[in-house]
Amino acid sequence: MIPPSSSAVPLLEAEGLTRAFDDGQVQALRGVDFSIQEGEFIAITGPSGCGKSTLLQLLGLLDQPTSGTLLYRGDSLPALRDPAAYRASEIGFIFQAFHLLPTFTAAENVQIPMFGTGRSLSERRERAAELLKLVGLEDRSDHFPSKLSGGERQRVAIARSLANEPALLLADEPTGNLDSKNAHLILDLIVRLQQEHGRTMVMVTHDPSIAERAGRILHMMDGKVVSDKPSPRTGS
Amino acid sequence: MTFLTVVIRGLLRRPVRTCLTLAGISIGIAAVVALVGMSRGFEKGWQVGLKARGTDLVVSSRGGSLTPKPFNASIRDQIARLPGIAATCNLLVQVTSVEDSDLMILSAREWGGFSWSNLKLVTGRMPQSGEEQAVVLGQTAADILKKKVGDPIQIETAELKVVGIVKGGALVEDGSVIMSLALLQKILASPDQINAIDVRVTPGTNEKQLQILIQQIQRQVPEVRAVSVADHLSNSEGFRMVRAMTWGTSLLAVLVGVLGVMNTMLMTVFERTHEICVLLAVGWKRSRIIQMVLYESALLGFFGGVIGVTIGALGVRALGETPALRGLLQPDLGFPLLALSVLIAVAVGVFSGLYPAWRSSRLAPSQALQAG
Repeated sequence: MIPPSSSAVPLLEAEGLTRAFDDGQVQALRGVDFSIQEGEFIAITGPSGCGKSTLLQLLGLLDQPTSGTLLYRGDSLPALRDPAAYRASEIGFIFQAFHLLPTFTAAENVQIPMFGTGRSLSERRERAAELLKLVGLEDRSDHFPSKLSGGERQRVAIARSLANEPALLLADEPTGNLDSKNAHLILDLIVRLQQEHGRTMVMVTHDPSIAERAGRILHMMDGKVVSDKPSPRTGS
Repeated sequence: MTFLTVVIRGLLRRPVRTCLTLAGISIGIAAVVALVGMSRGFEKGWQVGLKARGTDLVVSSRGGSLTPKPFNASIRDQIARLPGIAATCNLLVQVTSVEDSDLMILSAREWGGFSWSNLKLVTGRMPQSGEEQAVVLGQTAADILKKKVGDPIQIETAELKVVGIVKGGALVEDGSVIMSLALLQKILASPDQINAIDVRVTPGTNEKQLQILIQQIQRQVPEVRAVSVADHLSNSEGFRMVRAMTWGTSLLAVLVGVLGVMNTMLMTVFERTHEICVLLAVGWKRSRIIQMVLYESALLGFFGGVIGVTIGALGVRALGETPALRGLLQPDLGFPLLALSVLIAVAVGVFSGLYPAWRSSRLAPSQALQAG
């Protein structure tokens, strides 16, 4: 296991982050403060509608905060001139509903984020094969998502999230659509990938037992972080 | 997987809709190929016909429809006097119905004029005088009218006799009923009326001298217009009208294609909102999404164009074989027209994809996390 970096500049730092919808009538985030060091595994928990997924979207630049500051390695994220490049090179998304593209095979889905990164066709193919092997799906590379089980789909999605070797993995309820057996397999895979490669991971979950696999748990309520503690299981 | 694979997969997502859109563009492009090809072919046929008669200049009235308005034959005398003019031949040309054929060229030529000299007898004989109640038929005209030497033929109110079948060296000549000018004037009760004068200039006349001669004719007889064979058709009011109608109809068909592609691409973008948002979420730039949509629509245009060109070319050939048009159609389906048609189809595709592409680029990637 690679321990979290203790460098002075956090990988991500949020201060007074708010996000309002419908002209301020809905306050999804009401001033969130936290920082994430490189290599940390953080779980964000809380009841439905507490703002977990909204926060994850802001971290992945899928959405813009209404106010507050959000820094990535010390640079302001909302002010980035090329959010797509940030998403492509720095972020890997794992969604609850997998969000694989139905008309592409497993290998092709893994190649999708690599377009525009300067990799040649053969490099893209090799990288996709390598990642599918990593998630144990080398024999399913030519299968379309409709021919894969839920667990297999999520493993393809995990392989896709790693395509460009991102520094930060963002997972939104990654086991939410899986049965308990597959949920444990996927969670084990995520933890293994995080620990072996020392990647920073932020995982949103409403399940406390899953959250305990992380090193640190942020608990949210009504758009705010109400507690920020080390996981009791890891004791870190 | 290449970017083209991504584009093609997008089109294959809804194969039936893609095929229907292709059919829409194809019909539009087939209309362009068929109409423009026929119109150009018709013009070319007339031009070759004029050249085959050894005509350098055509003098006709201003205005008029497909065939020019009649004018008095005495105008020829004023023109024939000009230096540089070797020979003239008065004509009265009509496009009219003859017996069972709805569209037939009736070419009445001054008896003894040079416009008779290019006709080569295949069977029978030429008329013996300008007054003989006889016609000769071009080979195609004989086929269309199902006539042979010795058969009677009804021209307007008169019954004449087919005395010969001739080869004229051009589509228009071969598709014509050819007779003496005096005879047709008599039948139509229009003595001294002609609607064109074929003019042959003295050998060795260059283009510049030809233009000077044209100006002299214009000055001498302001009520008529003299043009070289090359310019004759482009200046013809009738052909201008045909060209305008051809392009007008074609553009209307193309517009239907534009709406078809735009509808398909908009539907594609709406249906694939989730997919596009996922692409944005995994790091695709908006410009790449725009590129994807435009490539898809351009590809639709390209394939629609190729299919349309094929349908148009085959269709117009089939049309040329119908009894009403046989012999009158020799479509000009040269490479430039076919290439232009495919180019129009691709342009239609790209143009139709602009708005859907813009719409797709406005999608918020956060929708990907919310959906499904």
